[in-house]
Formats: sequence, C-alpha cells, structure tokens
Amino acid sequence: MVNKIKSYGKIDEIDRNGEIFLPIGHYTLINCKNKPNNTNPKISIYGLGSCIALILFDCKNKVSGMSHILLPKAQKNKKIEYPHKYADLSVKLLVHELVKHGAMKENIKGIIIGGSKIFDLDENFMGIDNIQAIKLELAKLNINILKEHVGGKEGRAVIFDTKNFTVLVKLTSETSFTRLQ
Amino acid sequence: MVKNKQIKDLKLTPEQIDVLKEFGNIGSGNAITALSDLLNDTVNVSLTALNLCAFWKIPDLFEDPNIEVFGIYTEILDNPDLSIIQFFTKESIINLINILNEFNNSNSSEIKNIRDLNEFSYSIISEIGNLLAGHYASALADLLSIKLVPSVPKVALDNLTAMLNGVIAKYSQFADYSIIIDTKLQGKAINLNGIICLLPSINILNKLFKIVNLKFNLNL
Repeated sequence: MVNKIKSYGKIDEIDRNGEIFLPIGHYTLINCKNKPNNTNPKISIYGLGSCIALILFDCKNKVSGMSHILLPKAQKNKKIEYPHKYADLSVKLLVHELVKHGAMKENIKGIIIGGSKIFDLDENFMGIDNIQAIKLELAKLNINILKEHVGGKEGRAVIFDTKNFTVLVKLTSETSFTRLQ
Repeated sequence: MVKNKQIKDLKLTPEQIDVLKEFGNIGSGNAITALSDLLNDTVNVSLTALNLCAFWKIPDLFEDPNIEVFGIYTEILDNPDLSIIQFFTKESIINLINILNEFNNSNSSEIKNIRDLNEFSYSIISEIGNLLAGHYASALADLLSIKLVPSVPKVALDNLTAMLNGVIAKYSQFADYSIIIDTKLQGKAINLNGIICLLPSINILNKLFKIVNLKFNLNL
C-alpha cells in the first residue's frame, strides 16, 4: 500500500543559515552518511499548534527525517496529494523512506512534538487526536518514542539538528530554546 | 456539514472573486464602523483581499507569520462552514483596554505590559472580538438572508501560525485548498493594528453563489 502512494511534498531547500523550514503537510529527509559535517542542515518549524512534528532517525546509519502533520487520519479511497498531512500515512511513509535511504528499521527512534490546544474549544481536540494516532501507528511498527513534548495550551517552535540528533523546543511564552531531554 | 469529497481543482471566475470580496467588504465594513463608534476614532481599512491557496501556504499570506499576537476565534453556530478569526498586535490590545478603561472611569491601573492583563482584560478582548464578529456576521446574514449566529469568542495570545493550525485542520480534512478573505484595519489617532479574516469552507461556496444568483459548479 505504501509503495502505491507517491511521496509528494518533500522539501529540499536549505536556506543560507543551513535551515530547512518545513510547511504543513510536507516532509524532509537527510542522509548524512556520505556528507561532510558542515552540510548537515537543521530542520525547523516555528509555529506548531495542534500540528505535530514527527522526527524519526537512525543514529547509527545517520539518516533522519521529519514531517509536519496536520490531521490524524486520511479518508479512504481518495486521491491524496499531500500524504504527510495525515498521521497514519506520514508515519508509514517516513519509515519507508528512511529504510530506503539506508536506515535499519530496528534502529529507528521517534520524537514527537506539538499537539497543543490553543483556543479552548470543546470540539478542538485535533491535537490530542493527532498525538494518539501517531503513537498508535508507531506502536504498530514497533518504533520507540525516545522523547516527546506534547499537549498543553501553547504553541511551540522546534529545531532539529540532523548532525547530533538533538531537538530544541521553545514554547511561545518562553524567550529562548531549550534542549529536549 | 463538510461533505465526504475531495477537491481536485478549484478555479474561481473574476465575477465570483468579486462577489466573495464584496461579502468581506460588507462584513468588515460594518464591523469596523462599530469599532470606530466605540472608540470615537477613525479606523482605516485596507481593501479586502481574497486568497485562494493550498492549505500549507495560508501562514505565508500574513506579513509576519511567526509573530506573537492576540487571536480571537469565532465560529458560526449551526453553520460549521464559516468561521471568523481576528488578529491584533499586543500593543493594539493594550491600547484598546486602556482606552476602554478610561471611558469607564474605572479604577483599574493602566496596563503597560501584557503581563498586567487580568481576567477582566481578557473579558474585554473577548467582548471586542464579539462586537466585530457579531457585526460582520449580521451584515453577511442580512445580505444573504440567512441566519448566522456567532459563538462566544475564544481568545489566545500565541504564535500566529500556531493559532491558524487548528483552523486549517478544521477545513483541510477533505480539501487541499482554502479560501481566506481578510481585511486589515488601522487606527488613525490610536495605535491599532489588526486583521479580520473570514474563512468559508469550500463546501459553502455553492450555497453562497446560489443566493446571489451566480452559477458555480464545484468540481467535486
């Protein structure tokens, strides 16, 4: 099933500061194995509300990927142009892509960030749904969640360093980034 | 309600774009007149802009998508295909609250920083949001002869893009495109900067165009 869906929405553009900005519904993949250290870009999202940043990486083979997920579940039997918009498809596709680029499935670890509920609406549970959907999909594929920074009522900014696999997170009310432990 | 269909391609004729812009103009015109009456000041309005774009490009429509602003979100009750979201800069809100406190001859001290905002201030922000959204909705309702009742506004102070996330999520389960009709407003004497956005879902377009006797075949 995974093979049939084309991986639309890959971002490869690196800006002058060596950062990749990831819009909603897009993903990026960095294979650092054959590259010198200075080309390892940082992947960043600066406005993360109910969306989720899913980071998967294999530190032994130095392959990492990140996707910016908006919704928990894709409609069935529909032509999908941005599969990384949906949690269920994005997890499968990102794992598939990582393996294709030399990662060992057993080594892949996950980090999830986001899923806050900013406007206090009863029906605005999208963030919580997203978190649950991603955890469920990762559990199906036996991938451990190494770290997480989810829920709450505030937006976040995330920077993922593909060189040493560290994640910097900042809540909107905070003034500086802190390293996710 | 949102239909279980995927949008493949969406194109609007210039006529349809004009109609949608006019909805925005009439709505925001009424809302801003109300605000200007309340503040006793001229409020300048930009021309209403209509943007039809992919869901992931919406944050880029704003000048500074990662700024921390106040967001006021209103849904239309019984009509989930329409919502209104307003953004105001922090300085604007502080100004507004101070001015309204003065009118009130209230004893509350002047607010200088967003940290000084208390529950009462948030209630004022919500009320301003209610005033604007209410006038916007009632003008639209009059024009279209339909019933539009806005919900109680929800206020948040956060990153603009982060606040938009939830709204984008609401509309993009079935469509990759979104429409956003926005009007910028600016106070003349008082420092006031804001933007009012009307977000109709793609599904309500058929209905809207039918009311004004425009043919529109949505390629669903």
